[in-house]
Amino acid sequence: MYYQQSGNSAFMQDEDLLYTILADLKRTVREYTTATTESSCPAVRNLFTQLTNDTLRMQGELYNLMKQLNMYSTSSKALRQDLDKQVQSARNTQQKTRQFVQQKTSNMGQYAQAAQIQPPQQNAQNPYYM
Amino acid sequence: MQSGQMQPITGKELEYIVDSISNEDLLIKQCAATCATTQNPTIQQALQQYIRSMDHHLDLLVQALQQHQPLAPTQPQQ
Repeated sequence: MYYQQSGNSAFMQDEDLLYTILADLKRTVREYTTATTESSCPAVRNLFTQLTNDTLRMQGELYNLMKQLNMYSTSSKALRQDLDKQVQSARNTQQKTRQFVQQKTSNMGQYAQAAQIQPPQQNAQNPYYM
Repeated sequence: MQSGQMQPITGKELEYIVDSISNEDLLIKQCAATCATTQNPTIQQALQQYIRSMDHHLDLLVQALQQHQPLAPTQPQQ
């Protein structure tokens, strides 16, 4: 993945320079996310939410560009049997949690029941706070 | 700064805003330095767009500080 260009007398190779920018974008996204969760003033929270999203957009664009230019290799693909195992495990966890919720909320009236009955929605839009 | 109720900012929020200004500033410099060394026009174009976005981020962060200036107490409060 590295050093595909040679004989370049530049300060550093393009891929190294872009990689440092990508790494800093990732770090900045993390910091904006933390800042958002720690904000008290609603206007400041809105600002940090907006900056998180916009920085995340740039990080994604730069990653795609580096991938197109063969400057970034993703890790190897997960095996089918590993996915199967994790799907089974997640289903068991989900089932146990639902039973737990049912035990804890069975005497709580319609709101709790509505929460239990709702099936998982595929492609449901995540609610976006603020 | 966009909609939302304006409250005096906490010391922690002030630190986050100041750190964010440093982050954006460093990113702008990294993008500009890379833009100056790369020969690839696609990379140059992308980096120039990032610089514009990050410069806008800097504006928003500084504006946030300015808009909170009048709300800030002049004495430490309990």
